[in-house]
Amino acid sequence: MKKKRLITVIFLMTMIGVGLSACSDFLNVVPKDRLTGNNFYKDKNDVEANLVSIYSKFFEKINQTHVIGSIGEYRSGEVMASEQHFRYNQEGRMVEALGRNDLLDAINNGAWRDHYHLWDITNWTGYFQVIQGTNILIEKLEEGIPNLTDAETRRYIAEATFIRCFTYFWMVRLYGDVPYYTNAYQSDPLGREPMVEVINKCIEDMKSRMNDLPWTYTDPSLKGARGSRGSAVALLMHMNMWNAGFDGGNRTQHYTETAELGQALINSQAYRLLPLEQWELVVKGKSDESLFEFFRSINYGDNVNLIAPIANNFLRWPYKNPRYDHQVSLTYYTTEYMTKIFPENDADQRKETIDNNGWFGDVYGGGVYSGDGEFLLAKFAHNIPDAGNENINPDNTFLIFRYSDAILLRAEALAELGRDQEASEMVNMVRNRAKATPYSGPGGDHLKDYIYLERCRELIGEGHRYFDLIRTGRIMNSQWARRTLNRDQYNRRAWTWPIDRSALNNNPKMTLNEYWETIGN
Amino acid sequence: MNNYHLKFSMMKRYLVIIMLLLAIDPIGILAQERVTVSGVVTDESNLSIPGATILSGNPLKSISSTNNNGEFRVSVEDNATLVFRFIGFIEKRVTLKRGQTTLTVRMAEDVNEMEAVVVRGYVTRSKELSTGSSYSISGDRVQDVPVANIEQLLQGKVPGLNIQVNTGAPGFRGSTSIRGLSSLSITGQGSSSFLQPTSPLYVIDGVPMDADQASEFGFQQQGPGVSPVSMIPQEDIESIEILKDAQATSLYGSRAAYGVIIITTKRGNSEVPRIRYTQNTFMQRPPKLRETLGGNLERRLKIKQILENALTDEEIRRISSTPFLSDSLNAFFNNSTNWQDVFYRTTYNQTHNLAIDGGDPKFNYKANLNYYSEKGVIRNTGFDRYNLTMRMEYQPNEKFKIVGSVFGGIGKQNKGEGVGLFQTGVANNGMASTLLPGPSFFQSSGGVVAALETDNQNSARDIRTNVEASYMFIPGLRASTNLSYDFNSDTEDTFTPAAANGQFAKVYSFNGRNDRLYNRSAITYAKTFNEDHNLFINTFNEVYIESRQHSMTRQERTPNDQFQGPLGFDAYYSRGGGIHQNFRDFRSASYAAAASYDYKKKYVVDLSYRLDGTSGSGIDNPYSKNPAVGLRWNFHHEKFLEKFDWLDYGAFRLSWGMNINPNSSLVDIYGQYNINGRYNGGQGIGIDFNLIPNPTLKPTTTTQYNFGFDIGLFNGLANLNYDTYYKSVENMIIDRYLSNVSGFNVLKSNDASIVNYGHELALTFNPIRQGDFTWQLSFNGAINNDVLTKLPDEYNGQMIRWDGDQNYLQHTVFRVGTNTLSNFLRINEGVYSTDADVPVDPVTGLPYLTGGRFFEAGDPIFKDLNGDYVLDSRDYQITGNSQPKFVGGIATNVGYKNFRLDVYMSYTAKRTILNNALADRLKLMRDPFGDRAVVPLDDLDMWMAPGDVAKYPYAYDFTRFDNIQPFRADQTLWQEDGSYLKLNSVTLSYMFDKRLARLVGLNSIRVHLSAENLHTFSRYTGPNPENVTSMGRDASGGYPVPRKYNIGLNIEF
Repeated sequence: MKKKRLITVIFLMTMIGVGLSACSDFLNVVPKDRLTGNNFYKDKNDVEANLVSIYSKFFEKINQTHVIGSIGEYRSGEVMASEQHFRYNQEGRMVEALGRNDLLDAINNGAWRDHYHLWDITNWTGYFQVIQGTNILIEKLEEGIPNLTDAETRRYIAEATFIRCFTYFWMVRLYGDVPYYTNAYQSDPLGREPMVEVINKCIEDMKSRMNDLPWTYTDPSLKGARGSRGSAVALLMHMNMWNAGFDGGNRTQHYTETAELGQALINSQAYRLLPLEQWELVVKGKSDESLFEFFRSINYGDNVNLIAPIANNFLRWPYKNPRYDHQVSLTYYTTEYMTKIFPENDADQRKETIDNNGWFGDVYGGGVYSGDGEFLLAKFAHNIPDAGNENINPDNTFLIFRYSDAILLRAEALAELGRDQEASEMVNMVRNRAKATPYSGPGGDHLKDYIYLERCRELIGEGHRYFDLIRTGRIMNSQWARRTLNRDQYNRRAWTWPIDRSALNNNPKMTLNEYWETIGN
Repeated sequence: MNNYHLKFSMMKRYLVIIMLLLAIDPIGILAQERVTVSGVVTDESNLSIPGATILSGNPLKSISSTNNNGEFRVSVEDNATLVFRFIGFIEKRVTLKRGQTTLTVRMAEDVNEMEAVVVRGYVTRSKELSTGSSYSISGDRVQDVPVANIEQLLQGKVPGLNIQVNTGAPGFRGSTSIRGLSSLSITGQGSSSFLQPTSPLYVIDGVPMDADQASEFGFQQQGPGVSPVSMIPQEDIESIEILKDAQATSLYGSRAAYGVIIITTKRGNSEVPRIRYTQNTFMQRPPKLRETLGGNLERRLKIKQILENALTDEEIRRISSTPFLSDSLNAFFNNSTNWQDVFYRTTYNQTHNLAIDGGDPKFNYKANLNYYSEKGVIRNTGFDRYNLTMRMEYQPNEKFKIVGSVFGGIGKQNKGEGVGLFQTGVANNGMASTLLPGPSFFQSSGGVVAALETDNQNSARDIRTNVEASYMFIPGLRASTNLSYDFNSDTEDTFTPAAANGQFAKVYSFNGRNDRLYNRSAITYAKTFNEDHNLFINTFNEVYIESRQHSMTRQERTPNDQFQGPLGFDAYYSRGGGIHQNFRDFRSASYAAAASYDYKKKYVVDLSYRLDGTSGSGIDNPYSKNPAVGLRWNFHHEKFLEKFDWLDYGAFRLSWGMNINPNSSLVDIYGQYNINGRYNGGQGIGIDFNLIPNPTLKPTTTTQYNFGFDIGLFNGLANLNYDTYYKSVENMIIDRYLSNVSGFNVLKSNDASIVNYGHELALTFNPIRQGDFTWQLSFNGAINNDVLTKLPDEYNGQMIRWDGDQNYLQHTVFRVGTNTLSNFLRINEGVYSTDADVPVDPVTGLPYLTGGRFFEAGDPIFKDLNGDYVLDSRDYQITGNSQPKFVGGIATNVGYKNFRLDVYMSYTAKRTILNNALADRLKLMRDPFGDRAVVPLDDLDMWMAPGDVAKYPYAYDFTRFDNIQPFRADQTLWQEDGSYLKLNSVTLSYMFDKRLARLVGLNSIRVHLSAENLHTFSRYTGPNPENVTSMGRDASGGYPVPRKYNIGLNIEF
């Protein structure tokens, strides 16, 4: 009797044991109707899809409104609206409000506020979504994703790190001090950190991962469109140059680092400057000259906001339709400015019309010095899709870092370090491509100014100019900017954008940009 | 009392009978002078008792039992003593007189509660040994008043069970909660704000069922919305048991966090097949409707209102340009239509129930056929139910037992144009001007046609099968398994005719299915050591596999009214469609073990533990844990008390239990990834930035302490149960809104807690138990206090839930340290009697103002809380409590010979109601030029002339409605005490004499008259203080609770 009972008890205990162990499999239900964090990140495709989502999140911010021009080109006042354009008083004069650095007017003036909704630039939520996205992806990659080799894992971590650092860099240029974090699922409120520290952290972060990236991609569909070591180097050079301007004590170190990074980039031979005859390939995107860009194409069915590309404001018929609306360009660079950066006596193919593979004007006029509604920034007038009479912009990429940009940054760093000879060589690399008279002037300040002007020439319309003015402090000198900031305004960060007040919600540690909160002048 | 509706579990009865049979000593005693005695055993109301055991001899031996008609025939020694026993009745001893051969035995019902059995962890246990807090109701208490939803009949019968019949919509449920508030989640806006329902777990014949299933979308539900509780026929219910404390519910796991309601249906119990038929015919009447001024009275009042209050000539001239007011001879405007009559009606309905059962303890069966039909008091609404329940039980020997049952039901519902609980279309059109011509298909507003002609057909089809088998390996050790499959199919088809939808017909179709496979395997072991030590062990595991898929299609414009389907797809007019968000693929596995030990039934210790794992809560921490401990001291077994005859029983109970429930979903923990964004020719999949994943989400933990005291006195004269509890719900999920630095919007966090504590008391008196006249009186009540004890830090102890409905703005505030749900309103302090009473800002010299207009005499006095002489959005204050503090009921049951009278009452006290119905009624006066009805306001204490001290502001000055908004909903003027005492039901029944019944070939005939929702005693000025939402809002669009009068017949063949 006792034995039987014992057997029964053992039998039953075994049953329960079997049941318990089978349980975790039984409970693991893969939801069919949704993807959750525990059934995503299962293989390389998931990582790729997630990266695509992160890139597109950033792109949304650029695509929200006329971002590149507003943040990088107009704020020192060299761009004016053409009075002949029928939208002069609406869309046109917004650039002039930006040119006065009157951001509150640029954002809120009833004549254009709903057309441009520039307040989107002041809201950083989207950028922080990119940062959360990269932080989560990095955490998942560090935990380990099945079916991924070590090299792939490291490469993806590095690529995500690039996006994260790039986003911080972009935000610093827009808002100055920003909150900084790298942990996934950050939910506690954070205050803003000094921008120099944020950039220094990003430099460290990027340097530690940089070498896991390939110099460039052999797959032509990824070239330039996705973060590579070339992109990371360009970003590091930019971040060093930014801090060199704001962190006087360490400027030499930053210049040295920039110069070394530039050297490595050139030595890699992964990139080259294309002849201007092939300029349309560069603006189309994914060229050998592209270090990083946000690539979009009509062929991919991408929905690019009409007002987002800078070309939208500087093109006219026949590069923009319908003709009756686009007899003239909406805005133009003033003759005074163009004369300053492109001296009339210097030979330079970039000054030519589009038919001569130049960047300004066409057979109908609107050349480099036209300074009126005829003005045509032919640099972005390539790759026009056949859209009938529809108002569509040329099918160009959003260039962020270009090889010549990096070369000129290196030139600038070398010049600052007193290595004038090497600096001149760098400048002339860019000038030679443009078939322009090589620089042969003296070193020192003259060379530095020349390099600055070369950046203005080479990168016109690419959203670098205003930030160059800020980081070099040239914005305070009327020689370089039509609308200057005085020292006090500069110190109070008049060059930033206001921060949307929603940042204060649920965040006791948050402060806004004081300059814009105290009437903005 | 109808003896077929026995109070106690039949199963237990069989067990006892079996045991008694086994106790028969095989060696008979020598027969001496023997006589054959025959007779009948009945209960106090002369209903026969089949299956009663007859014992005789010394020691007592079972010699026979009564047959189906309660008759017996035994052969015993002359002048032997016969003992009659039957569960639930007091043992009766009869000594035969010499030569006596016939005998009529009348047994008295035993009201000693300790003999009762209760169900714990799917096993029946003696109530005397249970340590948890529970309350039982016998099935016969929920008969005689036909209802779609039996919950309605539990109202006021169970201490601590708060049932509010807050809607009269046929087939819908009211709100049910045990021991206070367990949720902070509110859905909806304005009058349609609802508290997330936290219904108890229902367990029907050992199979758990989720009563909230149909309402999980909150009140704006899609699909038929037929509650699973509405599918249970009341006639088939044997008993209902309500488990309240954590000890009682612990074995039911995390689903039982809000209590458990166990329903046991009837079993077969008759050797000869028995057929019982119940029929009810009932009339439903709408409650008293709003008084309206009709025809010319309306026109005259409107004109008078304009003439007396117009500020400009323009407004007076506008009368002539409003033909509706000025052209009284125009036939179109010359009517006196009673719009409410168009929508409301009195209905006549029927229910039929046929129950067939038969068999003996070895093999028995039953079948129950039910038809219930209820036409709603609002036209074009109603609920019909058809169902069939079958059950069979086979127990060839003591060791083996198998039970099989099938339940099939169809619930058909017609919601009309509304969404069931709300009939806003009806409420809105019911307020139309009486001057307009009455409805006809072609000549009326679209709203009227929509309400009356919308063809809405919902049906819920439910089939549930259950097989249970058990086997006893060795004495005391029993293994059992239960397998059940439940399939639900819900469809809804709505066709809106062209006249009701801007000249284009519209089609909506919903299709859903739910299924659940459930298995439970259990092992129980009972053992007695040394006679005094009893041990009982119960272990089981439970497995659920559930799935659900709902889909719908909507076609906005269809060809004509004649063609209602099938319809193809139209790219332009198709709306919505596809699979709903609530797709479900769910599994859970649970393990539970309980051990109960008692010493001489005097001291009882209960220990139990249960683990629940679900597929929804992630792999890292899938288990919810439910430990519980219970102690009981039956002090009536103590030696020093045994000598007191007046003490029937007495016990103290003490229990503690926890329910640790990971109520998070995979999405909460890991985040959701959606297809979003394209870049560089690829499709992106990224995290959803609404909800930030929270991997550290803690399980919600409910800890409950219960102390109970039960006593029975003077041989059943009085019984008392008292319980006091402290229930703390910690780590409740609450949404925290994040800083935009995090990129996400919301964090689901654990930072909210509430505490409920209270007392429950049930008292039953049986002053007269024997004889022709019997009387029972019972009373129960519960006090519940809820206190909010924690909120996320950033709220600093107060969180306001802003009401987004601009017409109401009735905000809710959560403040730590006070009752959980309070209103956040403007404080009304009366009406300015004269212009001089309006305060003036000493700084600016301007009187108190709002919306750019100064207050005047006749305007309400809103407290200026920040003292800036401007009434704005900063002048709100915390006030009131929408949850009731006291609930309970009173019952009296009187029997005289064959007559019986049962009266049930329930009450709710200390609760704040917002009388939005009155606010809406007064707002009808805002536009005398409009086509709304007007209502007489003479009954209200309203300011009429300077100097009046009144409660209500002046309603006739229509020019003040826009700026001053004297009748704005967000003020305490509408806050009223919602206490009430409701006469739930009165039933008078008569049982015809058995001989009379036999004459017409029947076994018994019983008729009853009953009335439900007869009257509500309340100081509340609105129509019904119960007919409000769970947030205490009296929405004028709500479905009124009808009054019901019924004639019923029960016959048995």
